[in-house]
Amino acid sequence: MKKINEAVEVLKRGGLAVYPTETTYGIGADVTNQKAINKLNKYKQRPFGKPYSVAVANQKMAEEYVELNDTAKRIYKQFLPGPVTVISKGKHKVAKGVESENGSLGIRIPDYPLVIEIIKKLEKPITATSANASYQKRPYKISDILESISDKQKKLIDLIIDVGELPHNEPSTVIDTTMDDPAILRQGEIKFKSENEVLSRGEDETQNLGKELFQKYEKYLGKRPIVFALEGEMGSGKTQFTKGLARAMGVKEEIVSPTYNLVNHYSQIADHQSLDHIDAWRMTDPKELKALELETFVKSKHVVVIEWAEKVADIIKKYRDQAVVVWVRITYGKVANERLISWGNL
Amino acid sequence: MKILAIDTSCDETAAAVTENTKVLSNVVWSQASAHAKFGGVMPSLAQRMHEERIDWVVKKALGKRNLAKDINAIAVTTGPGLSIALGVGINKARHLAIKYKKPLIAVNHIEAHFLSPLANSKTEIKFQVYGLCVSGGNTIFVKINKIGSYEILAQTVDDALGEALDKAARMLWLGYPGGAILEKFTKFGNSKAYSLPIPIVGQEKRKIFTYSGLKSAFYRLVEKEKPLTKEKIYNLAASFQNTAFTHLIRVIRYVLANYKLPTTNYFLVGGGVAVNVELQKRLRKLGKEFGIKLLVPYSKKLCGDNAAMIGVAAFLNPKYIPPSKIDRNPNLSFSKNTI
Repeated sequence: MKKINEAVEVLKRGGLAVYPTETTYGIGADVTNQKAINKLNKYKQRPFGKPYSVAVANQKMAEEYVELNDTAKRIYKQFLPGPVTVISKGKHKVAKGVESENGSLGIRIPDYPLVIEIIKKLEKPITATSANASYQKRPYKISDILESISDKQKKLIDLIIDVGELPHNEPSTVIDTTMDDPAILRQGEIKFKSENEVLSRGEDETQNLGKELFQKYEKYLGKRPIVFALEGEMGSGKTQFTKGLARAMGVKEEIVSPTYNLVNHYSQIADHQSLDHIDAWRMTDPKELKALELETFVKSKHVVVIEWAEKVADIIKKYRDQAVVVWVRITYGKVANERLISWGNL
Repeated sequence: MKILAIDTSCDETAAAVTENTKVLSNVVWSQASAHAKFGGVMPSLAQRMHEERIDWVVKKALGKRNLAKDINAIAVTTGPGLSIALGVGINKARHLAIKYKKPLIAVNHIEAHFLSPLANSKTEIKFQVYGLCVSGGNTIFVKINKIGSYEILAQTVDDALGEALDKAARMLWLGYPGGAILEKFTKFGNSKAYSLPIPIVGQEKRKIFTYSGLKSAFYRLVEKEKPLTKEKIYNLAASFQNTAFTHLIRVIRYVLANYKLPTTNYFLVGGGVAVNVELQKRLRKLGKEFGIKLLVPYSKKLCGDNAAMIGVAAFLNPKYIPPSKIDRNPNLSFSKNTI
């Protein structure tokens, strides 16, 4: 009870509060308070323009801030409260920077009573963004957050509700209901399609997906080699995907196309991790992949990304037992910047 | 100083003998061997079996010269490049250095590209000058304070220019080597026939080169234009090359206009794409705006991967290294001020 009142006071004043959910720790700010949102921007150090999803107490509250169409209503009925973020047309009742550039807003109703109570008492929605800084690892415990932010960032947090280590659940599934065909923007525990498929609307989002996929398989890091086999047409975004993946791994160097070198190695990463970025475009024979010391990378439990993997599929398949092999397919979408990214374990 | 130079940084197995900046011999496997007759085939790793080629190219480069008596030092590329390929050249160089008791010099492949215009050149260069490497694997624009001291002014964040041209050529099914064939085709096409997005137009202050967006725009355009006729292919080729070069020039112009550097009067340009006549024309024209003259390698052979440039770089910036310490450095970067 005391924690709830404390949190409400902090949020009322425009402060930032770290709170637990059924997915990861989130960081909340009053979405109608511009000062609070500005403070949150400073904390997250995100690229300008990336919107925040918000957490509400119930559907009634949601409808004060977004217009729910039939698709959205059906999803609310079936999945909320729960790990699904539903994007709908916003009513512009929130501070600047919360809704997306085209005016849409993502709503969550976390399946976590403590949070619902806080929101009810505050009588305002709070931001539902994860508590880590951009591209840092998923925060399942408070130390995950604190050890990867600066002192400046630490000072911006006004309250931490620490309930210990959260179960390692996937972040919420994000579904955009504003279009004719609802699109999945992030794949969480809840699946709306029989396969994993996500829509990316630009290079940033493709990079972000690289990060997300890496984080899904992060538990194998150092224990088994992880091979991401990327299949996609010219210009579909394989290298963009790899940029996000590498950044999530902690690689500081710019990831450039390995087409000419055939392999680029990155080993200045924490915990003796290594990333090998291979490009098979110039290979005329799948055996060339073997000659590139792929065997060594696998034995040393590296993370290996192979672009144009379809050219060397036969060789990659041979590593199915030794390594975790994730096959990622990137295809062009309906409009210019869109890509459809699907993946599965080989 | 006579140097036996070796380069096995990626596809090519190359050896050369240089005397200071003079090129005495320059052997590049894919052009010199029997395989050269079967041009138009993309090199496979089988053709990158440098171990089988290295003795032949070294022997050919030496010709009648005697390693013990006529050569003063041995130079080899230690990076950047493909790790397993680099190892072959380094092992050979190390072996020769020990056997014939010659000093060993480590060379940075990209630095060699920057200095390649100085091979066989009588032009007197007063530093600082600008350097540009445009190849299949690299697109870097630097300020050369003096030999051995470089400052990166702009570089690619995704594809290199040569790679972009090769990939565009592939999308048009032009065969191998794509960039060279593309250049030929542009002469028959109208570079304004298609409008392609100039990368980061108006944002040149970011001082990066980027070709991934142009690549995907071209992919969609080619798909839309299918079935392709000869005329369409010429026009597509011309439009792509035009846009790719326009971007490069725009970024370089931004740097030149906004950096107020003390007068430099040369652009040293190296790398495979340096052979492109249209690119040379545009760089020359850009240079005129700022009183900068263009200097490219005296021969096409010095633009692609080769060992003569390694010999020249070894002479100009000798980084002696004991044979026991020499090692491949595939990630050798140009991201520090001095290499």
